[in-house]
Amino acid sequence: MHIPDGFLSARVAIGYAALSSVGLGAACFRMRAQHERGASALLGVSAAFVFAAQMVNFPVAAGTSGHLVGSALAGALLGLPGALVVMSAVIIMQCFVLADGGVFALGANVFNMGLVGCVVGFCCYRLLCGAAPSPTRRVASVAFAGWCATIAGALSCAGQLSLSGAARLSVVLPAMLGVHALIGVGEAVISSLVVASVLRFRPELLENAGHGALGARSRNTAVFAGLGLSIAIAGLLAPIADVAPDGFSRVTQALGLHASASPLLAPLSQYGIPSLVSGVLATVIAGCLGTLSLFGLCWLLALALVPRKLRAAESRAVVAESSG
Amino acid sequence: MSAVHRASAGLKLGVAAALIFGLAALPAERAWWGLCALPPLLALALLARIPIEALLSRWALGAPFLLAAASLGYFQPHGLRVGLALLAKSAVCLLTLQLLIATTPVTELTRTLCRLHLPLVLCETIALLARYSDLLSDEARRMRRARTGRTLRGSRFQEWLALGNSLGLLFVRTVSRAERVQSAMRSRGGA
Repeated sequence: MHIPDGFLSARVAIGYAALSSVGLGAACFRMRAQHERGASALLGVSAAFVFAAQMVNFPVAAGTSGHLVGSALAGALLGLPGALVVMSAVIIMQCFVLADGGVFALGANVFNMGLVGCVVGFCCYRLLCGAAPSPTRRVASVAFAGWCATIAGALSCAGQLSLSGAARLSVVLPAMLGVHALIGVGEAVISSLVVASVLRFRPELLENAGHGALGARSRNTAVFAGLGLSIAIAGLLAPIADVAPDGFSRVTQALGLHASASPLLAPLSQYGIPSLVSGVLATVIAGCLGTLSLFGLCWLLALALVPRKLRAAESRAVVAESSG
Repeated sequence: MSAVHRASAGLKLGVAAALIFGLAALPAERAWWGLCALPPLLALALLARIPIEALLSRWALGAPFLLAAASLGYFQPHGLRVGLALLAKSAVCLLTLQLLIATTPVTELTRTLCRLHLPLVLCETIALLARYSDLLSDEARRMRRARTGRTLRGSRFQEWLALGNSLGLLFVRTVSRAERVQSAMRSRGGA
């Protein structure tokens, strides 16, 4: 999903760089207090962990292999602001050490894999987990969060490519979504494997994740949901504004703006939307069904991964708590 | 050490970024002008005495991504022309970046990045990442070698299970390493 240099137009690259620096700045601000209290080494060494984990190849069929991206996993292990800092550091490092993704496209790459990936992944994880999750629920949530984060990143990447005029949305969107729906399954499986083994070795690491920054209190879930939703809408609105180019350009001309107006501010003109409705509706329904069945698969995976001993211990603890 | 290696990292980073930004800002119809940057870049590579095969093989590692992105551009009006132009432009950008990486040590680059007034938290994270990424990659490799040495044959499922387990273990070790690093920093007067 790393966008190389040369594919993004200047205004798209600069716009997304601004968006991601705002998000990253906010995350750094949130982490500062914790940083001063003495947790600075954890972020750096965890970033090195993500960097190393991305190099571990998981064999898929016929000689191909896949690897972890890790935004949802980092969200589950470190909390949202920590994960954002860590993922951004990893993406910046990959750009300047391995030439993965361009310098000019760095802002867009940080937005797709860092901001969108972490926010969507973390929000999905927290929403599904609830306040006091069982191990099975935790593993299932992280699997589903990994899939969602991959898909959301691919969506926003497709939007950026089509906004830059590098490819048409009707081509790039199905191509990216199709490929990343499969890549996301790999991401889901790997993330859940890692969380399942951390649960076995040191479960308290998952209990503490994100405390002190954005807490695990359930009343905060509304905030996370709002945050995730707004990012998702921002990512989704851009392509839609592009699908109706006539309406978009007409509005911008009427307002006396050049085509350089921010796509995020493009009003959804009625022009061209009615003809889209039936096709979009069918796609949305198919997408919902696919996502729901995937969620079921995540749950089955978690049941397979969490050892029966841990599950039994959990239910005994619940019984003891309710009786005592 | 050639003159290119010895030049300050800030200068090299600035020149590379300016060149890449300039190339990226070229409109698609004039993307071919980007090829003008090729002779000076190759001259710099010669000056730095980088073996041309090494540069090409590193460049080829990034090329599939360029091809994939450019092929998506094919399906639009004037698709072939746009796709080829984008490909040429981004190939030159990739070569620039490879040249920068090949002639500048990572620590110099991270120090320069941190001098750009990035937030302190991000700077320290990047610096520690540069310090520990090799160490942890090495540890992952060692764990993998140990595992393949011990297990003769297994199904794909078992392999994934073992790899995921080793990543989980790597994270647990990461956390305890971070605690050690933290106490070492504190004992030397750091945060």
